[in-house]
Amino acid sequence: MFTQVITFLIFFAVIGCILYGRKLIKTEKIDAVFGNPERAKGGIHWVIVGSSFLLLTWLYYSWDIAKAFYPKSANELCQVGKVNDSLLSLKYLFPIEERQFKSTFVIQSENKNIAKIALEIENTSGLRDQDKNKLLSLVAKTKNTIPLLTNEKLLENEIKVKIDELTKKITQLTIKFQKESYPEETTEDENKRKEEAVKEGEWGASGTAVEQTIEIPIIPKTRKGLKFDAVSKELKIISDEFFKLRNHNPDYKREMKEIKDEIKKYRSDLGDAQEVASTLAKDILKIARRIEYASIFPPKTLNGMNRAILEFDNVQKKEQGYLRLVDVFLFPSGTIVSSGPSCSEQGSGRWLPKPSDTLNKFILLLKPSVGFKNIPLIWYEMMDVSKIIGFILPDWIADIIPGKYPVHSEDGTVKPNFKSKILKIVTGEFKLFKIPVPMGHIWDSFLRVFLGLIFGIIIGVPLGLFMGLNRFAKGFFDPLIELYRPVPPLAWAPLVISVLGIDNIGKVFLLFMVSLSIMIISARAGASGTQLSKIHAAHSLGASRWQILRYVIFPNSLPEILTGVRVAIGMCWGTLVAAEFLAGTTGIGFVENVAKKYFQYEVIWITIFVMGMLGLLFDITLRKIIDKTIPWRGKG
Amino acid sequence: MKKIISFILGTIVALNLSVSVANAAANEVRVAFFLEWPTPNQEDKVKKIFDKALGVPVKWTNFSNGGAMTDAMLAGDIDISYSQGLVPFINAVKSKAPLKLVDIAMEYGMGGTTCVTSNASGITKANASELEGKKVAVPLGTMAEYVFDESMKVVGADRGKMDVIQMDPEEGAAALVSGDVVMACLFGGNSIKAATAVGTRLLTVQEARDAGILGIDITSVTDKFMKENPGMLRTFIEVTHEANARYAAGKSDMNVIAKDAEMKLGDMKETIGGFKFLTPAETKKSMESGNLAGFLKGMDTPSGAVDTSFLPN
Repeated sequence: MFTQVITFLIFFAVIGCILYGRKLIKTEKIDAVFGNPERAKGGIHWVIVGSSFLLLTWLYYSWDIAKAFYPKSANELCQVGKVNDSLLSLKYLFPIEERQFKSTFVIQSENKNIAKIALEIENTSGLRDQDKNKLLSLVAKTKNTIPLLTNEKLLENEIKVKIDELTKKITQLTIKFQKESYPEETTEDENKRKEEAVKEGEWGASGTAVEQTIEIPIIPKTRKGLKFDAVSKELKIISDEFFKLRNHNPDYKREMKEIKDEIKKYRSDLGDAQEVASTLAKDILKIARRIEYASIFPPKTLNGMNRAILEFDNVQKKEQGYLRLVDVFLFPSGTIVSSGPSCSEQGSGRWLPKPSDTLNKFILLLKPSVGFKNIPLIWYEMMDVSKIIGFILPDWIADIIPGKYPVHSEDGTVKPNFKSKILKIVTGEFKLFKIPVPMGHIWDSFLRVFLGLIFGIIIGVPLGLFMGLNRFAKGFFDPLIELYRPVPPLAWAPLVISVLGIDNIGKVFLLFMVSLSIMIISARAGASGTQLSKIHAAHSLGASRWQILRYVIFPNSLPEILTGVRVAIGMCWGTLVAAEFLAGTTGIGFVENVAKKYFQYEVIWITIFVMGMLGLLFDITLRKIIDKTIPWRGKG
Repeated sequence: MKKIISFILGTIVALNLSVSVANAAANEVRVAFFLEWPTPNQEDKVKKIFDKALGVPVKWTNFSNGGAMTDAMLAGDIDISYSQGLVPFINAVKSKAPLKLVDIAMEYGMGGTTCVTSNASGITKANASELEGKKVAVPLGTMAEYVFDESMKVVGADRGKMDVIQMDPEEGAAALVSGDVVMACLFGGNSIKAATAVGTRLLTVQEARDAGILGIDITSVTDKFMKENPGMLRTFIEVTHEANARYAAGKSDMNVIAKDAEMKLGDMKETIGGFKFLTPAETKKSMESGNLAGFLKGMDTPSGAVDTSFLPN
């Protein structure tokens, strides 16, 4: 219901916005010529159209529209899938979806293989002439078994009758299929089926989102579904029967037995020295047995059956009726497939979860008690302020205080002294008041990017400015920066992680490396890009070196620096996720990596969205900062 | 405007028509396997016996874990996965992947898949609860995760209290060596060797066997390949079982296998010695009512994922 409303809303929004956009063009000022940036301003309505198209594509390719408008179609298509499943093993023997009969293909390739092995025997050195002759005669014999299978005259009457019988069965099934009353079902059976179908439920949430759910109900709910279900069962019996059928006439059997016995005897007679010959003989036997196993029939024998199957296929397509249209238009790139005892979505519906499923899963993951791998996505925990004090104060303060740490006494107690009390303070092992601090996968990822970026800015910006203003700094640091900058940050990842460990230090350091080079380059470019006239003006007004740096050069390079920060954020996100892929216990990248192992497509998409959103958030914040702090940008 | 609309419509139509074009006529068979995981049929692989038996070229691709094998099968790049771990297969089937289990590659004790604690940490079976609160490396979603879970039950440590880090075996071994983790669960001869250089197995092979921890590797196949090329699948399994019989009779060329597995002969012999290759009859029994059936049931696997009809009689 919800999805239906959304779909209609999107349609109306798109149409409305397009109409509005066209109207706007007509009332446009004439003086804004092509190329004038004024023409690109505004246009919220096109944003709506763009987002609507995104959402619509998602709804469409995740088959959520099909689910909303034809909730029963999945169950019915599942029954059609059953028919296709039964038909598949029959179909592939015939030139229906292939170019030629399967047996033609087998004969073709086996003839090739026979020629190949004959050539191999000829060319094998160290083979006695008598072995060569023997093996070649065996090859020839094997080759001669094929005509025994394809000769119409040798075809046994029994087999012929059997094939006719199976053909007739298919034809009858085709006729029965078209009847309104097929299959006959007593009211009792019908009630029972409907009851079970209700128990099984509707086309539900995806099996990867919620454990132990049946995604697509397999008990036929509708009359049409029942028809396909019944046909698939009958067809399966016919298909199995045909599959067992082999054109092994007495002549062929005799010949085959002879080959087998001969090879067996020949191999047992060979000594250890003739191992090559023995292997070759075995290979010949393999070919002979492959021919034996393939269902090879005389060329025209199966024509009737081919026709019957084609006709059945046409009828079953016709019987699908509106379902066929639904399948083609509402189940793009894929469909419902039946395999064994269950039906499943195969195609884009499988790896592109439905928006509703994704939203539900996201809400579930957001619950702090659920989270992912027992860690919430984002939540808070109460932390004692003492921990922060312990983190800030170095532990060696306690060590340099005169005296010794307490030793346990004879009655088995430990008396704290001044030194041990200090140690407790510097390690943060005391109680103060508690404050809430954020935690969770999203927070951890955010923090890593943030720290990497901050360190990069703190070190990179002064260094960059220095390099832009000082010959020594430029010359000294240039080789270092220029050598490591072009290396893709991920190339450092394995090294950094094995040196600095898999904890936050390694990841933050990696991100620091990423942001540092960008910050240096942008600060340097900003500093050296300052207009000389401004510096001269400040100088002649009596500004000191520091004042020139603070009031002329720094404000002038700020636009470049902040652009650098925006670039760095993007690079940091990309690197972070890959670094979290390598090793880690928290973070968005870790969530995605683990979700992939369990094929949880919803979670994978959620992580992708979260990353997109966080990246956007960073960017928007920065844009606001830029607008607020450097209004002179682009006007210098 | 018209151009834009026709472009969008064209794209939609093109996307709808792009049905997966897979191996229709099976001009080659694409098989996935593991390195550092020696099996007798690698001799046949090297000597091209599979190619001859199947009548078409067989393309072998190596993978680092079973989950990646599933990915490749779903994408239509692999037809048969040989010696895929049972756990990745179960995960795939649970997510409705169209795969079937057709054969057991081997059963193994903790020889091939094991958890190793670092000597520096001083943690052994006796004080294993000290693992709680520390970092352990586990390749999630693989047989090693199963072994990890079962081992923790045996030694009485709580998995929920540990920091479980997702790491493939090679990385896990490296992390154990560098001291980043106190325990690494891994598979593959070389990785285990690297890990045991600085650590000790948490449970010995015998202890694990006594506790009933058993690994099973299987042969899985895509539904499509199974339906369209039953003969080839049958032959593939038959050749594999012939190789196993040859190994059992002591006639395998161990040098060839070691070279193909990219292991030293001695290490390879030790690894393969820990594997138990079942005969067709034993396989059938295990699949229907034995270890495999029990394993599947214990992991709540949806029924219908096993097909015994391709086993040689």
